[in-house]
Amino acid sequence: MRFEFNGNDANVSFSGDLTFADHMMFREIADRLRASTDKTIVIDVANLDFIDSAGLGMLLIAREEARKLNRTLVLRGAKGQVGRMFGLTKFDTLFSVEA
Amino acid sequence: MFALSKKRLAPVEMALPPPEAEPCETAAGGHDALLRSWMSLAEMQQRVIKVLAAEITQTSGFVETEADDLSQKFQTLAISAQQQTERVQSLTSLAQTVEFEDQSFAVRDIGSLLEQTLTDVVAKILLLSKDSMSMVYALDALGINVKRVDDCMVRLEQINRTTNMLALNARIEAERAGAAGNAFRVVANEVRELSKSTDSLAATMNAELKLVREGLASGQETLRRVATIDMSDNILAKDRLDLLISALATRSALLKITVDSAITEAEIISGVVDGMVTGIQFQDRTKQRLEHVVDTLHVLDEAVQEVKSSTLMVAPELSELEPADMEWVKKLLDRYTMSEVRERFIAQVIDGHATQMPEQAAESGPTQGGSVELF
Repeated sequence: MRFEFNGNDANVSFSGDLTFADHMMFREIADRLRASTDKTIVIDVANLDFIDSAGLGMLLIAREEARKLNRTLVLRGAKGQVGRMFGLTKFDTLFSVEA
Repeated sequence: MFALSKKRLAPVEMALPPPEAEPCETAAGGHDALLRSWMSLAEMQQRVIKVLAAEITQTSGFVETEADDLSQKFQTLAISAQQQTERVQSLTSLAQTVEFEDQSFAVRDIGSLLEQTLTDVVAKILLLSKDSMSMVYALDALGINVKRVDDCMVRLEQINRTTNMLALNARIEAERAGAAGNAFRVVANEVRELSKSTDSLAATMNAELKLVREGLASGQETLRRVATIDMSDNILAKDRLDLLISALATRSALLKITVDSAITEAEIISGVVDGMVTGIQFQDRTKQRLEHVVDTLHVLDEAVQEVKSSTLMVAPELSELEPADMEWVKKLLDRYTMSEVRERFIAQVIDGHATQMPEQAAESGPTQGGSVELF
């Protein structure tokens, strides 16, 4: 997976595949997101092609940490396999999912 | 019923004595002949009336029996139609529900139940993945701690090597000092032994740390397998489930339309059959009309008998009647198409015998077409 912060530490874009192999990288991204001061954290997944259950688990951990800090985690632009996985797992009931 | 072709029949002509050319001369003889003809005709009329009354009574009886039979059959048909309607209605219930473990499930809800089951499975997978990744991150943190211990061990080994070197140098200096260095030599040996012990302990700790690192790596690999579950089948299952739910909804709607249509048709059949039963029951009125006709015929017979009796009182010589002119009767017989009726007519009207009416209704019904003579 590749990632890129969009101007500030509370907005990041993912591309490629988010799988178990990316868990160390995701930890670093999560730490950086947590260090930001914005109330809303945005993860843009529009260019993410694939996500497995480990990737979903990582997003849930990030959500849990955001809630502990009274922040909202927004998942934006999911489509293809990622969008179907979000639909299957009813992520829209757990996250703020934006088109 | 039966489509009988109506033939235009020629009128039956009576064979009466022709009028005389000179009525004044033969008036008495002519009147006598005419009177005899009238008496013969009256006799024949009475016989015909009796035959017709008997035929009508018998036919009325047949019609009544057949109507009762038909009515019973139609009532059976009405009950069957009603039962058919109920069966169709129960079919609706059967087609729309499934009994399982003493519970009734609507077919339209089965898709939702399956979807809920799939959702539960997916939720568990998700929870498992999340917990596994939490464990992975905990093991990552533990790995960092182990790495720090590794660094400490490297530092410890460096210190130990330095200590060992110092002990060796102290031993060399003690040897140079000779007897004065005896005490120093003892200390140097002790330090060297201490260094060896430390080295041995460090080796043991490194071996243990190696096992911890291997355990961490193995644990992470296990968690990777647990956390990384291929959910492609779940997505396909969800897609199939959506199609199944849609198909079930379509099937349910089509079934409802079909069953509603069947119920409507069954109700129409029931209504028509009920109407037919009611219609057949009006046969009573037909019977009453025929009874009026028979009654009228009897009255006519009595009237003719009265005229005959009055005539015989005035002219007793007419009691010995000549054989009646049967020509018009024979022509009438030719018009009868049913041999059975013709035979009874011959027996009663021509031969003057009373005949027994057959128990036709009891012997055969309309379904046994052999007894029905159409032409």
